[in-house]
Amino acid sequence: MKKKTAAILLSVVMAAAVLAGCGSKSDDNAANTADTTDTSETTEETSGDEQYTIGISQFAEHGSLDNCRTGFLEGLAEEGIVEGENLTVKYDNAMADMGMAGQIASSFISDKVDLVCGIATPSAQTLYNAAMDTDIPVVFTAVTDPIAAELVNEDGSAVGEVTGSSDKLPIEAQLQMIRKVLPDAKKLGIMYTTSEVNSVSAIAEYKELAGDYGFEIVEKGITTTADVPMAADDLLKQVDCVTNLTDNTVVNSLPTILEKANEKNIPIFGSEIEQVKIGCLAAEGIDYISLGKETGKMAAQILKGEKKASELEYLSIADTGLYVNTKVAENLGITLDEELVSGALESFDEITE
Amino acid sequence: MDFIISFLEQGLIYGVLALGVYITYKILDFPDLSVDGTFPLGASVTATLIVKGVNPYLTLLIAFAVGIAAGICTGLIHVKCQVRDLLAGIIMMTALWTINLRIAGTANVPMLSQQTIFKNDLLGAIVPTGISGYVKILMIVVLALICKLLLDGYLKTKSGYLLRAVGDNDILVTSLAKDQGNVKILGLAIANGLVALAGSMFCQYQRVFDISMGTGAVVIGLASVIIGTSILKKLTFFKPTTAVLFGAVIYMACVALALKKCTPQDTKLITAALLLIVLVVSRGRRKKVKTNA
Repeated sequence: MKKKTAAILLSVVMAAAVLAGCGSKSDDNAANTADTTDTSETTEETSGDEQYTIGISQFAEHGSLDNCRTGFLEGLAEEGIVEGENLTVKYDNAMADMGMAGQIASSFISDKVDLVCGIATPSAQTLYNAAMDTDIPVVFTAVTDPIAAELVNEDGSAVGEVTGSSDKLPIEAQLQMIRKVLPDAKKLGIMYTTSEVNSVSAIAEYKELAGDYGFEIVEKGITTTADVPMAADDLLKQVDCVTNLTDNTVVNSLPTILEKANEKNIPIFGSEIEQVKIGCLAAEGIDYISLGKETGKMAAQILKGEKKASELEYLSIADTGLYVNTKVAENLGITLDEELVSGALESFDEITE
Repeated sequence: MDFIISFLEQGLIYGVLALGVYITYKILDFPDLSVDGTFPLGASVTATLIVKGVNPYLTLLIAFAVGIAAGICTGLIHVKCQVRDLLAGIIMMTALWTINLRIAGTANVPMLSQQTIFKNDLLGAIVPTGISGYVKILMIVVLALICKLLLDGYLKTKSGYLLRAVGDNDILVTSLAKDQGNVKILGLAIANGLVALAGSMFCQYQRVFDISMGTGAVVIGLASVIIGTSILKKLTFFKPTTAVLFGAVIYMACVALALKKCTPQDTKLITAALLLIVLVVSRGRRKKVKTNA
């Protein structure tokens, strides 16, 4: 009897948790309460004051990807499609789980949203797979190689109602920059996760170009976060400096690597602004917010019916910026070229934890 | 309706995986963790073959066969090398990560423009346009039922009885002059064959293979088996295999519901809560049945 009471009590508590959890979602979208639950209304496009509903599926919880999403909504807002006013956003995160990504995609499609946005390759692929047989356009961002992901044809033309933007790393510029900062370095270490295609293709490109700048690439593959400390120790023994990709697992464990590298006085180069902020020496990289913004503008064109997704060519970032951290340089005892620092898009003089 | 179909589809695919887990966990009493590796193994084999232009239906059988091979390996490690059951699974799961990467060549293989069991020229030609939206679910139901019925049939054969005996009373098997090691290997082979088959279906369903898709597969499988068998325990006219498929659908329904109704950060907790509620409610009902009887 006691057990039964406990069981009932527990289920009541859990039920309350469910309700509380669900409640918070409606709070997020409080501005348009009526429309959030019933999307069939919003898909009915009326002239003049149009209401849009979009679904955003993000593959993992991750600084760069979060920036992409923020930028995407900003881009839409700049085109007059503002969340809470004439836009309802359904956002879900797959927590790096493919099955979850699939569920999210089918849920968006069954809700008949006006447009879906996939952030990172697996989410984009599952969304396109689900939306392929419908007329819902797909916009992707933070997909390193849309051609390899079959989201774009090899000649750059559209495979269907899908377009977006790529976050391919400016590898040549990064090598050039590292050479400038460290004229004597020979061995360049890179750590990457073997399960991330983005990283694998970036490594291949690094290897191809490294010779031109007199570098030898030392790669270290890992499978999970748990491998990072050991792999970092091993890698740091063999190299003069380390550069980062946009590898999700490695970026998430960057503090571990930075700490070990600081002990050995080995400079680490990043691949985007957030990494420089937390202690990478410099990065020739992508600003994910502006990447998201550009993508958001594309989505706005599609939503407004000005262009179809298949008519918009996918974007690959043309200009990248240099980010440096002078505090890190000081700690490492490296004097940065004045010209380099003044040419940087942004320079930081402190390390944020 | 679309919502229900979407979790039915995924639920029944994972149901095939759960049938495999049912064999190892419930029948053999063997906690087989190699599932996390054999699920993407089936997918990687399928993706590689489909990109090469092999008939998608044939890939199902090939994935099943490859899964059997992986299951035999787990069995051999356990029986012949005398490695404990959990560790044998862990060893196999770890090894399969690399094997899967090598088979597929890369961590992510899209098949967005390829023919799959759910979408191909043949189906396009014979299926009337009116029901083309239901092809996926029909195909999955048929495949899951075939797996279930074949497994039911097998468990009634002599070999199937031996398999059950190994889990319940292994001394009996030895006294029948049968080597229980071989029976275990056979069970693991069939189980992992089913899991790889589920992997094959899943990657054709999503039209992409990703190396990370196996992560947590064993958890889904175990949860489905336990949910299914405990909810339908008193309804003895349901075979345990039916219960397992049902359990997987319930699991996916909980995930889908949590996704639909809650903020992204909360989905996992809500899924957990829903699952617990399902289990507790079903247990409460069972007790009542007992007192009335």
